[in-house]
Amino acid sequence: MSFYISTLLVYFFVDVLLAWALNLQFGWGGIPNFALIMFQAAGAYAAAVVSLGPDTGAGAFQRYVFGSNLPFPVPLLVAAAAGGILALVVGVFALRRIRRDYQAAILLIVSLIAIGAVSNVVGLVNGSNGLTGVPKPLSGVLSGLTYDGYQWVYAAWAGLIALGVYLLVARLGGSAWGRALRAVRDNEDAAATIGLNPMGLRMQAFVIGGVIAGLSGGVLVEFLAAWSPAAWGYAETFAVFTAIILGGVGNNWGVVLGTLLVQVIFLQAPTFLPQIGYTGLIDALEWVLIGILWLLCLAIRPRGLIPERRHRAEPPPAGAVARATAAASPAPGMPQ
Amino acid sequence: MRKPIYLTLATTGLLGLAACASSGGSTASTGPVGIVQVGAYTGDQAFEAQFAASIDYPALYAVNHAGGILGRQVSLIQVDTRSDPADALAAMGKTLATSSNIAAILGPDSTSAATLVPLLNSHHLPMMIAAGEAAYDRSPYAYLWRDVPPDPANGEAIALWAKQQGYASVATVFGTDTGSQGDLPGVVAGVKAVGIKLADQENLTPDQPSYRAAVERLLAARPAAIITESDGPTAATFFGELKQLGSLVPVIGTSGTPSDSYFTPMRGAIGSANFNKYFRAVVVGNPVTNPAVTAFNASVLAVQNKLSKPVTQWENNSFSESGYDGMITLALAMDAAHSTDGTVYNTYIMQVTAPGPGKQVVYTYAAGKAALAAGHKIQYIGASGPLLFSKYHNSFGSQAVEEFPANAPAVVVGTITQAQVQALGG
Amino acid sequence: MLIIQAIGFGVITAALIAIGAMGFTVQFGLTNVLNISYAGAMTVGAFATFLAEVVHLPLVVGVLLAPLAAAALTWVLGRTLFAFYARRGAGLFEMVMVTLAVNLILQFGIDAASREQIYRFAFPQGASLHVGPFTVTVTQLALVVVAVAVFGGLEFLLRRTRLGKALRAMAVEPRLARTCGIPTARIVTVVWLLSGALAGLAGLGYVINALTIDASVGTSFLPLVLAAAILGKAGSTRGAVLAALALGVVTEEVAAVGGAAYSTVAGFGILAVVLLTRPAALAGQTAGKAEITV
Repeated sequence: MSFYISTLLVYFFVDVLLAWALNLQFGWGGIPNFALIMFQAAGAYAAAVVSLGPDTGAGAFQRYVFGSNLPFPVPLLVAAAAGGILALVVGVFALRRIRRDYQAAILLIVSLIAIGAVSNVVGLVNGSNGLTGVPKPLSGVLSGLTYDGYQWVYAAWAGLIALGVYLLVARLGGSAWGRALRAVRDNEDAAATIGLNPMGLRMQAFVIGGVIAGLSGGVLVEFLAAWSPAAWGYAETFAVFTAIILGGVGNNWGVVLGTLLVQVIFLQAPTFLPQIGYTGLIDALEWVLIGILWLLCLAIRPRGLIPERRHRAEPPPAGAVARATAAASPAPGMPQ
Repeated sequence: MRKPIYLTLATTGLLGLAACASSGGSTASTGPVGIVQVGAYTGDQAFEAQFAASIDYPALYAVNHAGGILGRQVSLIQVDTRSDPADALAAMGKTLATSSNIAAILGPDSTSAATLVPLLNSHHLPMMIAAGEAAYDRSPYAYLWRDVPPDPANGEAIALWAKQQGYASVATVFGTDTGSQGDLPGVVAGVKAVGIKLADQENLTPDQPSYRAAVERLLAARPAAIITESDGPTAATFFGELKQLGSLVPVIGTSGTPSDSYFTPMRGAIGSANFNKYFRAVVVGNPVTNPAVTAFNASVLAVQNKLSKPVTQWENNSFSESGYDGMITLALAMDAAHSTDGTVYNTYIMQVTAPGPGKQVVYTYAAGKAALAAGHKIQYIGASGPLLFSKYHNSFGSQAVEEFPANAPAVVVGTITQAQVQALGG
Repeated sequence: MLIIQAIGFGVITAALIAIGAMGFTVQFGLTNVLNISYAGAMTVGAFATFLAEVVHLPLVVGVLLAPLAAAALTWVLGRTLFAFYARRGAGLFEMVMVTLAVNLILQFGIDAASREQIYRFAFPQGASLHVGPFTVTVTQLALVVVAVAVFGGLEFLLRRTRLGKALRAMAVEPRLARTCGIPTARIVTVVWLLSGALAGLAGLGYVINALTIDASVGTSFLPLVLAAAILGKAGSTRGAVLAALALGVVTEEVAAVGGAAYSTVAGFGILAVVLLTRPAALAGQTAGKAEITV
């Protein structure tokens, strides 16, 4: 049982990192990043290929690039960098000033295409078989620990990283940069008028979010020792969206609560049900439930359980239509 | 700062849930014996589920019909990896935490092995793994057992067969999907080692409407034979076009090809007569006929309503036979050790399968159980032949070259022995 | 010669994409709902025919069921769920989230119901014909003919009928159209049905070509359909067809020259290039029109 708890704890910290990344990009930056999970995957693959040895080694059975066998903690840094670089590349053409629904659709397409590309270009990261045998960090130094002991040390390590990232995003959120970002989200034209740089700010938020997402991938892959396309289907991004919409878009602690509710409790609890139907039926239905949960959130509490803190006084919008629009959008007055 | 309250509440709740559910740890000694089958029941690799069924249900039938293990019936616990290592870990962790009667593990499979093997080994749970990676040839895990050859061995056996048939050059045609790529490195290495020219390598993205370009490249390379593994529709499209655009050559499938979902589209695409004429597969598992095979086939028929149709694909199916033998071996080891505790019976796995003087040879679980009860030492020889575990807990066995008449069990037309493969440097 | 033949394959692929893109863009142009659950509708259409085949219904019935089932589904979704959120003031992006959630429910609901397996889809492909340097099957030719017919039908509908004129008017100025007495509700209904029907046809065409069917076929096909619809102006069937042709031919050419592995990326490369060089082409479409009409 202790093993199960420590596993869930690591997953929780990894998911919280993703939630903060999305909160930065979407909650504060207004960027509908439907490709979020792709950045985690980039980080995971990057950490894996630099911590594995060369793929031509004895008994080689996987094909991948690099294979540099770098020691801890370098792969984590590489993972974070990979997430950031990918965000830079994607951001260059996806962060133009285009309608948010187009933007969302384009990011979704990128995510879908990426899976296809990775699966079919086998030499890159071993295609659909994925990578396995990723070395666990410090397994030599910590070999005195029992299996369970190592798990708890790893959970503590993931917690430490989460703490560090929290301090970063909390700082960013309260800073002038954070305010500028939210200003751009709320009214891009007005923000540009007073001298802010919308494209630049969005790009910065997107890249920082990408870095955090990549880091989360590195932490996860070093825990699992394996990674494959099955781990980053497009639906995974929506678990994170559901978490932050339920918990409260724009609020760091809100998304933590949302992550706990959705990723941990909501998605793990059904596994305790007695088996109904064929094996795996309940797992498949979980995604259906996420969709339903999402629809309910949007209808009932689109601001989430813990809404974004208002950082300034705002007169209530006048008129019925404006009220309805404000109630239905996560943040009011966004340019469409 | 307001939110720590929520986090504390939630964590307390979770720990409380954990405390209530906590019952894992020691192995129970009454009630059913739990055998866990861990594999992909959903997701990309859901095709594994039908193979798992063809192993689990016949073996369960054989064991339970003979009275179970130490007087207790065996119950199957299915753990779904969802083809995803993260889900595999969570699912396995939850199962370990909530079941107290787990005695052994069938699996893990290739996707989840790296993630689960250390965990299961630390919990002293003997595993019969189905993962083909060469990484486990010399594994440091005391509780890991493998009775199927590693993936490269299948490729090397194919190369040896090609050499025996006198093919001067071959081409490889492999799908890029999960499950098809596993054998390719072994095939390439084997072909080079026996000195056959590798004229062309094609990697096919599955489910394309046409593989014209790949077919043309292959025809231009003029191979004497083609070595292949891919899913059924991809193969049908490719070989159908090959037949259209040029002519067919002998095709050798890997151990992953024999199944109805591969044969039916292929037969449809190139015609049944051509299929019988040109297609062979090299499958892992000894081509034997012994009482164990008879018992296995009988068990398969007894549980056929739980297996995917047609049932003939499972009779004499070497992969299924290996898995079945794995389960029987585990059960016999527990009987011999008078315990379902892995720390006690793990060493008996080798004891009940190794040959030796004065040992009674048995071919079924019932016979083995009876012999043990009478105080004899036994050697179980299974439907896949003798299980000769090396000191690294690997048992290779020979591989069979088979042809596949429609709606009938496979016919063995050749054998590649373990010694031949190892001589190749495998 | 392979390069030339790839053009033939490209046209067939383009026909499939075009059917899907036309259905998407007509609906998107009118309602401004970027309907991701279009993927689910495509899957539903494909499964309708597959199930008809399993219970041995005549082939014609099976083929007709695809557009019918998908149209019914899309119409119900449009009139109930999407209308609900639109009434509550959902913006363009919130509607995308709604359609995405619906797509999750559709895809994984079908996944669960189909036991998450991949099924073989047998459809008579017909004899191989040689048309110049190209070799196509009868079914593939039929797909192209259907695409052309759909295009012709839509052109006729939009430009020569009153309904079409009303539709185009609504797309540009919905409030004015309503004031002028155009039966907007009825037109929206027609558009949902039409969009769904074309989704069903596109999904069916996709699995006929792929020979396998599972719950993810719609989502696999969606990127190309969406890319074509976005590249062609929203609401423009001509734009959708041209974009589909470009995507189809480029995808097949890259497959012929570089290998099928890169073709998935190539199709999207076009979209990326357009976004980099002419983002205004997309941004400009928002001028004066940013509301949901359902």
